Amino acid sequence: MTAGISTGLRTTVQESVYQQSWWKKHGGTILTYACFALFVLVIGIPFYYIFMSSITPKGQLFQIPPSYWPANPTFDNYLNMADSVPFFTYLRNSLIFAIGSSVVSVGASALAAYALARIRFPGSNIIYIALILSVALPQIAVMVPMFQTLQQFKMVNTHHGLIVLMSSLLLPFTVMTLVSFIMQVPGEIEEAALIDGANPLTVITRIVFPLIRPALATMLVINFIISWNELLYPLIFAQRIDTKTLSVGMMELSSDASTYTRPWDMMSALSVVMVIPVLLLILFGQRMIIAGLARGAVK
Amino acid sequence: MNTSLSNPPRSVTRRSLWNLSLAQRRYLLAAGLLLPVVLLRLFTTLYPFLQTTFLSTQKYNPAFPPQSYVGFGNFERLFNDIVVQQSLLFTIIFVFVSTFFQVVLGLAVAHLLNAPFRLRGLARSLSLIPWAIPMVVAAIGFRWMFDDQFGMIPDILRRVFGLETTWLINPQNARLAVVLVNIWKSTPFVALILLAGMQGISQDQYEAAKVDGATWWQTLRFITIPMLLPIIVSISMYMLVWQLAVFDLPYAMTGGGPGFATTVIAQKIFQEINSLNYGYAAALGVVMVAVVALIGSIGLFIFRRVEVSS
Repeated sequence: MTAGISTGLRTTVQESVYQQSWWKKHGGTILTYACFALFVLVIGIPFYYIFMSSITPKGQLFQIPPSYWPANPTFDNYLNMADSVPFFTYLRNSLIFAIGSSVVSVGASALAAYALARIRFPGSNIIYIALILSVALPQIAVMVPMFQTLQQFKMVNTHHGLIVLMSSLLLPFTVMTLVSFIMQVPGEIEEAALIDGANPLTVITRIVFPLIRPALATMLVINFIISWNELLYPLIFAQRIDTKTLSVGMMELSSDASTYTRPWDMMSALSVVMVIPVLLLILFGQRMIIAGLARGAVK
Repeated sequence: MNTSLSNPPRSVTRRSLWNLSLAQRRYLLAAGLLLPVVLLRLFTTLYPFLQTTFLSTQKYNPAFPPQSYVGFGNFERLFNDIVVQQSLLFTIIFVFVSTFFQVVLGLAVAHLLNAPFRLRGLARSLSLIPWAIPMVVAAIGFRWMFDDQFGMIPDILRRVFGLETTWLINPQNARLAVVLVNIWKSTPFVALILLAGMQGISQDQYEAAKVDGATWWQTLRFITIPMLLPIIVSISMYMLVWQLAVFDLPYAMTGGGPGFATTVIAQKIFQEINSLNYGYAAALGVVMVAVVALIGSIGLFIFRRVEVSS
C-alpha cells in the first residue's frame, strides 16, 4: 500500500519535472477538440445538405457533379411545397396528433405511476413488469386485428383513434420514468393529507403533480417529439386529408418512382419544416430531455 | 395518527357508506388509477395479439370472402416464401450489426461527451438531434445523399478517393447504406444513455488507476466497461428488440429495394396488409413476435447473469 503510494508520487513528480513536453500538456485537449470536430461534421453534414437543397432552385438540384453551395438561394421550394402538399392541414393534423398523444399518455401514466410508486397492493410488481415487457410487441405484428377493431369503433380516420393508439405506445416508457421520479419525492405531505381525510384524487392532482412538474414537462416534450416523428400509425390509420400528418405527406411526395420525377426540392423543404419544432424543443429543453431519457434507461 | 383519531365522524360515515376496509379502499384506488393505462395497453397489445394468433390459422382476404380455416397452411406457405426468408435474414443482420456499432461507437461518443472541455454542453445538445429528428427526414435526406447520379456521397468518394460506387441500386451496398443511416441515427442516443451511466462511476477509481500508472486502455478495460456492463447489456437488449420492429427507415429510404434486398419483416407484413392478405399477414406477425420473444429472452438471460455477477 505504502509502496504503491510512494511510486505513484514519484512518477507524478518525475513527470512534472522532466517529461512535461508541450504535447503532454495540450495533446489531450487537441485530441478532444479533433474528435468534437469530427462529431460535428458527421452529425451536421446531412442537415447542411438538406437545408442547402431546400433553398436551391429546382433546376439546379439535378447537376453532375452536385453543388455544395447554393448559388442562387430561393424560397420557392417552400412555397411550391406549401401549394402541392396540403401543408397547413397536415401541419394542423400533426400538431393535434402529437400534442394529443403526449397529453393523454402523460396524464394516464402519471395516475398509474402514482399507484405503482406509492400504493402497496398485491400484483403491483406484475403489472409493472408486464407493462415494460409489452414494449417488445411490434406494432405492425398485430396491425390487422387492430385495424378491424378500430373500424368497428369507427375510429379509423379520426384524430382520437390515432391519439389512442399512439399514446398507448408511449405509456410504458412514460410510466417507468414517472415512477422513478415519484419515488424520489418524499411522501409525508401526501400521507398527512390522506390521513386528514382528503380525497385521494385531490391529493394527487394538488400535491403530487406539482412536486413532479419538471418530470411531467420532460415527458410531455419527449412524447411530443416521438409522436411528431411517428410514421406507421398515421400511414395506416389516416387515409384522408383531414387526418394525415406531415410524415405521411412526406411519403406521398416521395412516392414518385424515379429520381428525376421525385420532387427533391419540395421534400427537402418539408424536411426542414419538420425538423424546426424539434430543434426548438432541443434548444430550450436539452438538459431535461437528456435527463428524462437517461432516467428511463438507467434505473 | 392523532389527526385520524381527531377526525372520526368522516371516516366512519365513509366506511359505512362503502362498507369497505381501509385496505380494500386502497386497492380500489390503485385499480382506478391504473385502469386507463391497463385498458389502453390491453386494447393495443394482448387483445389484438390473441386475435392475430387466431387469424393466423385462417385464410382471410376481405376482397375474397369467405374466411376459412387452414390450420398451419399460412405458416407452411411462409416458410417457403423466398421474400420472407430474405427479409427475416436481412432484419436480423440489420439489427445485430446496427446494435453492435451503436454500442461500440456510442461508448466512444460517450467518452467525448464526458470529457472536460468547453464545448461539452454543445456536444451533448448536438447528440440529441439525430434521435429527435423524424426518421422519415433522415431516411429521405440520406436517400438524396446516396443518390447514384446526383448524391453527394458517391461524388465525394469519387473525387477524394477515386472510387466509383453505386449505392441504392446495388443490393449489398443498399443494405450497407440502410445500416449506416441507422447507426448514424441512434448512436448518439445510445451514447447519452451510456454517458448517464459513466457519470455514476465514482471518480476515485479513476484517480486510483491514474496513480497506479494505468494506461488509457487498461482504464477502459478494467474500470469503465465492467462498471457500465449492466447498462451496456440493457441498452443492447433494448436496441435489439426495438430495432427488430423497424419499419420507417427502409420504407422511406429504399422502399425495401432494390428488388427486396432491404425489405425488413415489418415492411413485408405491411405489404401483405396492403394486398389484403390478412390471414397471411397475421401469420407473419406471429413469427415476428416469436423472433422478438426469442431474442428478448436470450437478452434477459444474459442480463440476469450480469446483474448477479456484478
